[in-house]
This record gives sequence, C-alpha cells and structure tokens, in this order.
Amino acid sequence: MLDKEFNEEDVLTRAAQGDRDAFGLLYERYLDRIFNYVYYRTGNLHDAEDLTARVFQRAMNHIKNYTDRGVPFSAWLYRIAHNLVANWHRDRSRRQEIPINDVPVLPSKGDHPERNLVRSQEESTLLKLIRRLPPERQNLLILKFVENMSNAEIGKIMGRSEGAVKSLYHRTLLSLRDQIGDQHISLDNE
Amino acid sequence: MNKLKTTLSDDQLSALEAHLAGTLKPVTPPMEIVQRLRNRIHFPERQVIVLRLRDWQRMFLVFGGVMSGMLVMITVARAFFYLMRRHM
Repeated sequence: MLDKEFNEEDVLTRAAQGDRDAFGLLYERYLDRIFNYVYYRTGNLHDAEDLTARVFQRAMNHIKNYTDRGVPFSAWLYRIAHNLVANWHRDRSRRQEIPINDVPVLPSKGDHPERNLVRSQEESTLLKLIRRLPPERQNLLILKFVENMSNAEIGKIMGRSEGAVKSLYHRTLLSLRDQIGDQHISLDNE
Repeated sequence: MNKLKTTLSDDQLSALEAHLAGTLKPVTPPMEIVQRLRNRIHFPERQVIVLRLRDWQRMFLVFGGVMSGMLVMITVARAFFYLMRRHM
C-alpha cells in the first residue's frame, strides 16, 4: 500500500524541505536493507541497531545535501552506512577488542518468525571467512547476496564500473575458495 | 610451493555461490529493534504516516458522504410533502 503511493523523487524533495513524515517513508523503505548491511558488516546485533540509527540520523541531517547526480538515494545511504561501519571498525581496532566472529542468529526472510534456525557449522565458518575479507569485498558479497543487487547497482554504490565489480567479484570468489580449502567446507556439487 | 589456481571451474563457482547464498540471507530486524529505532529517530508509526498522507482522501469521502446524505434527506422530505399534499 505504501509502495503504490511512493514516488521517491517527490518524497526526497519533501524530506529535503524538512518534512519528517516524508523522511519517515524513506526510513520505512530502506530500514531493512541498511540494517541487513550493517548487521552483516558488524556481526553484532547491538551495534547493528546503533549504527543503523546513526545512518538514518546522519541522512536526515544531511538530506539537503543529497542531489541525484546519477547516484540513487539508496547508494547515498549505503555510503553513509559504509563510512560509519568503517569508523566503527577503526574504533574497535584502536580499543583492541576481541573480534566477534560469530554472527548472531536472526530469522531470515524465508524462515518461520517463531523459529530461530541454528546456522550450520559450514555457514558460520564461511561467515568468519567473509568477515576476514577486505571491507570492499565484504560489501560486494553483502550487496550481491543479501540485497540481490546487480553488478551495475553495486557499481553505483561502490563508485566502480560494472566491469570492475565483476572482476572484483571473481577475485573475491577465488580468494574465498583458497581459504575454504583449509576449512571443512565442501565445494563439491551435491 | 603450491601455485594457487587463478580460475574457478563452473562447478566450484556454482557450489561457492550456493554456499554464499545460503549463508548471506536477508534477515528481518526484530520488531523491538524497529520500534526502538523509530523512537530514537522520533519517527511516527508507519500507520500514522499512511493515515496522514491519506487525509485528503478521508476528507473527500466525508464530504461526499455528507452531500449524499443531504441529497437522500431532501429527496425523502420532498416525497413526503408531495404525498401529504395529495392526501389533503
């Protein structure tokens, strides 16, 4: 119902003029995506909540500066999220906290909401390997698999060409395959 | 020294992508988190936003309803007086 009435350009103009309800619509539309991104980048539910709030607060404070120069609003939001997550990682490394490798289990979209699925050993091992990748490679995998974005869409967010994204994806898979070799994950086709 | 292969076979590629798709699944933020975030950023409830946006539709319906009601009442009153006059 919300989507039928949603004209992003119009909503963005209103939000830029300080209309809180309009920004509320943007929040409703992008909350899940930003939360997913931050959740997978931090592996921590509490920080994912905190950073998601800060992404939207920062977006609300700076939405007047947003101009559509071929970069969609979603890409602008993801860039804010990316910067905040990068700061978060930098602060953590300064404080030298023990890294959290276990991403807590949340029900995924297809799961029964009442049931928390226990991730298989392979999945948690793979998650740990993903979280050891350089940030841009993690971004790429999250946007591709969690957000189901095309290489062109990912390119807009990451400020790269479609070809560069494709090449980075290939290198990321190669690197993952090599790391998986040392783990107990089967890459044989069942 | 082992030389790392710089290509992926189709089987490896599809197996790896299947693993990634199974691992990186979209999650739904718990409702309490959504609610806390909404309170923290001071956004109105989604339903309230929709209602506010639809205020003009509601006004249109109310206005239309009042006008239709008045028309029905006038028609009934006219019919009543017409019948009364015929009986007199």
